[in-house]
Amino acid sequence: MELTDAGLVARVLVDDDQHAYGELVRRHQSSMRGLLRQLTRGDIALADDLAQDAFVRAYKNIRSFRGEAKFSTWLYRIAYNCFREDARKRKELVGINEEQWQAELDPQAVDPGLRHDLMHALSLLPLHERSAVLLCCQNGLSHDEAARVLDIPLGTVKTNVLRGREKLKKTLAAWAQ
Amino acid sequence: MNEEREQDWLDKKLQEAAPYIEDDGFTAHVLKQLPAPHVRLQFLRPLILVAASALASALTYVLSDGGRFIIVEMFKVTTIPTVWVVAFALASGMLVMAGGIVAAMSKASQIQP
Repeated sequence: MELTDAGLVARVLVDDDQHAYGELVRRHQSSMRGLLRQLTRGDIALADDLAQDAFVRAYKNIRSFRGEAKFSTWLYRIAYNCFREDARKRKELVGINEEQWQAELDPQAVDPGLRHDLMHALSLLPLHERSAVLLCCQNGLSHDEAARVLDIPLGTVKTNVLRGREKLKKTLAAWAQ
Repeated sequence: MNEEREQDWLDKKLQEAAPYIEDDGFTAHVLKQLPAPHVRLQFLRPLILVAASALASALTYVLSDGGRFIIVEMFKVTTIPTVWVVAFALASGMLVMAGGIVAAMSKASQIQP
């Protein structure tokens, strides 16, 4: 039987089991890297560096994980903090590397034109709206979970999601017909 | 297209635009960067317990004049009323059980994520 995230975390806590942690990384690497790629506006190398940093940081601080939220929510929070710290260090957000980003995406999944417009519309959103939309609409977090990840009030998350959605809908109005 | 359907459409497209990213050595690279696990000298625990017990037994034997007190005390025990023995056994059992429950609860809260 496959162990749950909670079971794997328990193994890491009790036995310092790095194989168990490896399984946690394998399970969550795709969503973490995906989120960071979009937060960094398609800078794949930077996003992967941040994701690695986040996973290492999570391992070192795993004793502070109290299980009040899902393990993935806790990871998202660490990843988001890594991203914010890096962005602060750089003083400016990274530029769009849309070509490389597009090349990595599955061509079968969405109409390439729509995907291009969607990614472009996302990248134009201010960071607070982009983060809220990505967490809630793309990664399926509840507003409450997103508030924990972003460390902002629940009401602000709801407003950011609403505004972000509105802007995306306006930009993509032609595709939604 | 109404509001709700429009939201569903947008969420669906956002999710489709985030395909699964293959691991491609990412996990291995993370594991290489983890600090080395603590060296746990777990085998030392039973060793210390056995050594301490042996030492305590040896000391008791020497200090008690070859264990003569055991015979004396055993004789005293035979004179204790049966009700007292039963009560003592019950109390000890409950004490050990309570200790076990407290230890289990403390361990469970420690590992509960």
